[in-house]
Amino acid sequence: MQASSGMLTKFESKSSRAKGIAFHPKRPWILVSLHSSTIQLWDYRMGTLIDRFEEHDGPVRGVDFHKTQPLFVSGGDDYKIKVWSYQTRRCLFTLNGHLDYIRTVFFHHELPWIVSASDDQTIRIWNWQNRSLLCTMTGHNHYAMCAQFHPKEDLVVSASLDQSVRVWDISGLRKKHSAPSSMSFESQASHANQNQTDMFGNTDAVVKFVLEGHDRGVNWVAFHPTMPLIVSAGDDRLIKLWRMSETKAWEVDTCRGHFANASGCLFHPHQDLILSAGEDKTIRVWDLNKRTTVNTFKRENDRFWVIAAHPEINLFAAGHDNGVMVFKLERERPASTVYQNQLFYITKEKHVKSYDFQRNVESPTLLSLKKLGSPWVPPRTLSYNPAERSVLVTTPADGGSYELINLPREGSGVTDATESKRGQGNSAIFVARNRFAVLNTSTQTVDIKDLQNNVTRSFKPPVGTSDVYFGGTGNLLIITPTAVHLYDIGQKKTTAELAVNGVKYVVWSNDGLYAALLSKHNVTIVSKTLEQISTLHETIRIKSATWDDAGVLLYSTLNHVKYTLLNGDNGIVRTLDQTVYLVRVKGRNVYCLDRSAKPRILQIDPTEYRFKLALVKRNYEEMLHIIQNSSLVGQSIIAYLQKKGYPEIALQFVQDPTTRFELAIECGNLEVAVEMAKQLDRPKLWTRLSTEALAHGNHSIVEMCYQKLKQFDKLSFLYLSTGDENKLARMAKIAEHRGDFTSRFQNALYLGEVEDRIQMFKEIDLYPLAYMTAKSHGLEEECQAILEATGLSEEELNLPTFGDALTPPKPIVPTYKANWPTKSTSQSVFERALLGQMESLSLEDEGAANGVGVEADETAKGDALAEADEDEDAAGWDMGEDIVPEVEEGFVNVDTADAGGVGSSEADLWARNSPLAVDHVAGGSFDTAMQLLNRQVGAVNFAPLKPRFLEVYQASKTYLPASAGLPSLVNYVRRTPEESDLRKVLPIIPRDLEYLTNNDLQQGHRFMKENKLEEGLVVFRNILHSALVNAVGADSEVADAKKLITSAAAYTLAMSIELARRALDPSDLKRNLELAAYFTIPGIEVPHRQLALLSAMAQSVRNKNYNTALSFAKRILANGGSPKILENARKTKAQCERNPNDAVEIEYDQFAEFEICAASFTPIYSGTAYEECAFDGSKYHTKYKGTVCTVCQVCEVGKHGSGLKLFA
Amino acid sequence: MDPYSAEGELTNIHNHFHQGQYQEVVDFDVSSLSPENALPARVLQLRARVALGQAEDVLADVQGEKEPELEAVAALAEQTLGNTDKAVEIAESLAQSTPDNATVQIVGGTVLAAAGKSDEALALLANHQGSLDAVALIVQIHLQNNRNDLALKAVVEARRWAQDSLLVNLAESWVGLRVGGDKYQQAFYVFEELAQAPATSSVRTLVSQAVAELHLGRTEEAQAALEQVLKKEPSYAEAIANLLVLSVITGSKQKDELTSSLAQADPEHPFLTDLNEKSDLFDKAASKYSAKVSA
Repeated sequence: MQASSGMLTKFESKSSRAKGIAFHPKRPWILVSLHSSTIQLWDYRMGTLIDRFEEHDGPVRGVDFHKTQPLFVSGGDDYKIKVWSYQTRRCLFTLNGHLDYIRTVFFHHELPWIVSASDDQTIRIWNWQNRSLLCTMTGHNHYAMCAQFHPKEDLVVSASLDQSVRVWDISGLRKKHSAPSSMSFESQASHANQNQTDMFGNTDAVVKFVLEGHDRGVNWVAFHPTMPLIVSAGDDRLIKLWRMSETKAWEVDTCRGHFANASGCLFHPHQDLILSAGEDKTIRVWDLNKRTTVNTFKRENDRFWVIAAHPEINLFAAGHDNGVMVFKLERERPASTVYQNQLFYITKEKHVKSYDFQRNVESPTLLSLKKLGSPWVPPRTLSYNPAERSVLVTTPADGGSYELINLPREGSGVTDATESKRGQGNSAIFVARNRFAVLNTSTQTVDIKDLQNNVTRSFKPPVGTSDVYFGGTGNLLIITPTAVHLYDIGQKKTTAELAVNGVKYVVWSNDGLYAALLSKHNVTIVSKTLEQISTLHETIRIKSATWDDAGVLLYSTLNHVKYTLLNGDNGIVRTLDQTVYLVRVKGRNVYCLDRSAKPRILQIDPTEYRFKLALVKRNYEEMLHIIQNSSLVGQSIIAYLQKKGYPEIALQFVQDPTTRFELAIECGNLEVAVEMAKQLDRPKLWTRLSTEALAHGNHSIVEMCYQKLKQFDKLSFLYLSTGDENKLARMAKIAEHRGDFTSRFQNALYLGEVEDRIQMFKEIDLYPLAYMTAKSHGLEEECQAILEATGLSEEELNLPTFGDALTPPKPIVPTYKANWPTKSTSQSVFERALLGQMESLSLEDEGAANGVGVEADETAKGDALAEADEDEDAAGWDMGEDIVPEVEEGFVNVDTADAGGVGSSEADLWARNSPLAVDHVAGGSFDTAMQLLNRQVGAVNFAPLKPRFLEVYQASKTYLPASAGLPSLVNYVRRTPEESDLRKVLPIIPRDLEYLTNNDLQQGHRFMKENKLEEGLVVFRNILHSALVNAVGADSEVADAKKLITSAAAYTLAMSIELARRALDPSDLKRNLELAAYFTIPGIEVPHRQLALLSAMAQSVRNKNYNTALSFAKRILANGGSPKILENARKTKAQCERNPNDAVEIEYDQFAEFEICAASFTPIYSGTAYEECAFDGSKYHTKYKGTVCTVCQVCEVGKHGSGLKLFA
Repeated sequence: MDPYSAEGELTNIHNHFHQGQYQEVVDFDVSSLSPENALPARVLQLRARVALGQAEDVLADVQGEKEPELEAVAALAEQTLGNTDKAVEIAESLAQSTPDNATVQIVGGTVLAAAGKSDEALALLANHQGSLDAVALIVQIHLQNNRNDLALKAVVEARRWAQDSLLVNLAESWVGLRVGGDKYQQAFYVFEELAQAPATSSVRTLVSQAVAELHLGRTEEAQAALEQVLKKEPSYAEAIANLLVLSVITGSKQKDELTSSLAQADPEHPFLTDLNEKSDLFDKAASKYSAKVSA
């Protein structure tokens, strides 16, 4: 690096002399105009040249970005001002008028104006919207070197080689060009007057002040962004500071130091600093208030020509003889450290503060470090000692120093560091409760000191040590430019060494097992014994890192937050609009400090890396959870899974048949592969499938592939090797049919059919061969026949000697009947779990459903996933196979080669297309339907569902009379007649939910009203059964369906209670009254509840239970309704209120909240434990767990499934 | 000249046959036909009589006849009477001896296909020389085997040389009812055209129309058509079966009544046999489950 030490260079370019620079206000771009006539557009963050603009003729000295529009302006030695669009990448127009070189061009901050300064001694203001010259300001009598608008007021400042700086008032120009209506008559008059008074006709811009003080030409001048100050730089090597008031302006002071022409100067946008650059190859930083030098950066060979500041962030750029450099004056990384749930950091004001991650609050200032180091140098590091509650701060000022300060106790307010221990050192960190290590790079020593700042031991670190970090208890991590050493303090020696270049920061994981070594472009993860775990490279600079609790490293680059797993897998978590320093990850929050040292919280989506982590750790439970709760489906995740060797998992995410096929082949899932190949039906795929299936030993699939491909010879050989003689014979017939003699010969050979071979030879006139064949097999008659046919005698033949005729071996084991022992497919636990999940089956139920006897335990209730035991060989899993529908019929059994045979009917497809029980029922697949219902709602007693099953099944097919003499053609009735995609077709559902609501439910209500409870009970149960085996057309209808089910269940319960009451012996008065009371509890429709209440009230009154009757009466009145009922209730109420007592004590607490146990018809008070039916939601006392629900009569009480699925 | 083509003598009787107007076939005046068409006409009449349930008479009629055509008809009659084995035996021997005889192909193919030997039937029918009857049979066999793709292929191929003939239209409609979507409507048009013109209307075409309507979701129209059929022929099993399906779909109360009338009309109807089978399947499958605690 050519610049002097201490300069924080961010970007450097190589080019010819840079004369003009402009920062883009938002993007990380810089425009550089060159002496060679080119204008460059750089991305200084990425270090890339974005564009070049070459239309000027000769050097270009001035450039400026527009603040908001995608525009920039340039002015050059060709006297031209050009306005460009960087979007369309071309010059929009040219403003002509200047008569000599143009030195600077600047946009106005709000008006569509450009100000230019030229060697023709004028300063001109242009309107770039109507492309006109607004004003020419004359007065300088030498080259005008620089002219700038004031950032707020209507002023222009200019510098000239005539040694003067001028301030111009352009308010007249603004008035003239603002809307005329805003001008009163008076002001118009005065405006006119003003015009008259100016003898040069120069009315719009008038010289306000002429600042004289430089004794050579002035090269640059600039306004202060907020204060009435001006700074100028001149060939007299001076930087002058000027102040102005409304009426006058004067010189404040001079900064002396440049020893050649000063070419540029500016005010720091938000600090009290002045920056200047000169031909003496230096950039100087001055204190605005004291006018003393703060810093000097020297370049070896290049003279500086221009300097510019970024309007917002702490960045500057300077143009010199060989290009441009972008730099900043100070480090912006706030010194910080994290201890448990607290972040300690130092603000820009040098205050130590803390931040609580749990409460998300910032503390007041704990400590002020104003006196530490020099005023313009921020502290570099902060180390915290929780035992002593002290901090160790280092600052690079004064060649590096540290300070050890105790934090004040809570609530004692701001304190200056009173008692502090300090010393020289470049790095200082706590290594134990009462020890800290100090590195002094100049002397290359590391001192271990106690809290009294006394050296307890001292040693020489490895050569070139630049930094030290905590290295675990009793250890230091020592950083050299090319390596990291793990240094044991006790033994005073390096115990491990890892070659890593340019490490700048070390970040330990929360459990202290891993550390991330950050260098400019690399992250290296090491174990605590300094073994490299992984490393990754970033093209963009890495800024900071922090560990997730799960062992994922999150790191920030200039523009991204990224993650890396221990195995090196990484990815982007989110983008950043400004640089931040990560300090902590907690859930979806990333805590960080921004460049102004303010704690911030970024929201992230950790799904991706959590999923990948779970994948690496084979934590299926977590993966399932993630898959269920987020939409991870995307090309990237599929590609990732595939790349990482989890094709079977990727398979679960993919819909596209081609990809599915590829994945299925990769993970050896032949079933899926067959399905997909069938869908796509391309010869290439069949070929691949056949190879794969052959490798698996699954010869039935191989056979099908060959059939599809019409590879007769291969097929024949396959039949030979599987010993399937029947099919081989058929192949022979086919060969004959096709007239393919080679094939026929081959098949005959395989079959050992000598006659057929002879016959064939004869057919194709190969009598010699026919004869030989016959002869060698001892078929003398045949030989004779051939001889006769050819008219030859045996003597005329010259026969070779024959060996024994070959006969093909006879198959002993009919291997064709079953597949060879197939290679086990890689169906993982996870895959099975997923299959279950896709059909919305809870894993827990899977076992139980198949009678393995995995007990449904209590924990299954909330989160069935929790049951997805990590235990790889959990027996329950093996049952997963059953879910995979048998699809291969008609494929494997293809028994004629020209693809005849039987296909699978549409009804078979239904079960395949749908996870709904009803579709399985319609397809006639009752057993899978029952499995589904069992898993979804714990259905165990299917007998009551039989009518519904048959009903659904019956509705699915029609009979079309076709050819006479043949049975009718069966066709399948579809739910939506428009659908013809076989992968989507679904069967019609008789008595769908709409029908049930409009018919059965109404009928049930009618029975209720007519007091036909037995009939009603049948109807409502029927509704429940029909709803259980049903489907809805949209997700939104599911809620309606659930409502219908709940309502039907309530009626069923209510009617059952009342029927039970009626069946009672009338002498059991207590129970009678109780049941009457309970009859009013289920959530049936209000008019019907009124009936129940009336009945209960009447019962109570009759038995002198006036208090209870009163409560019923009140409820009736509260419900409202027909006047007759209300009148009745009112009377009862009045009557009861006279004597609110109960004659019979019953278990009915009118004030308590309770529900009715559907088995015992007793109350379940709120708060007590209960079980319920997963389907209809009826409640039971816990002792009824495991019995069949009395309401729906189908499901098992307390068996919690994945919930009824009515919509796919 | 093809006697079945539009100008041929047999067009009408042939069309009557395929439109399911069997009585018209039987009543057709064959006396004016040229001698070479007498036999095919007779075969058609015999088949129509079989379809009308007069299989025994037909069997007696063709007893002792040596023409393979009539032997094939005999096989058909045997099959209708339930003597499947005998029928298949005759058909197979005919297939062996005279596989190129069109009637043998069609009638024999029918017998074989009905006996579940669809491969043999297809092999026999594959010998046909441009016979649409054979094509229609092939299509139906493919459909029965759920090979809609092959059926469609056969129809498309036939459409190329046979254009707009009745049988191609019918076969296409059969396939259409499998394919679904727009094809339902097209099939409906074909059936409706046949069923609604008095000259071509028959119970079979009416039922076909009703089935198409049912698939289109027009339950009321389907109901009307089926009731019309039952008015004409109260014991027509297909009509009863489809009406039964319809009543299940619409949730009507006729269900049980229809089931018993179907059992009366055709106790062996696939609807019933299938249902019994499924009923057993249900019981078997349901027996695997039971509550953990019996109440």
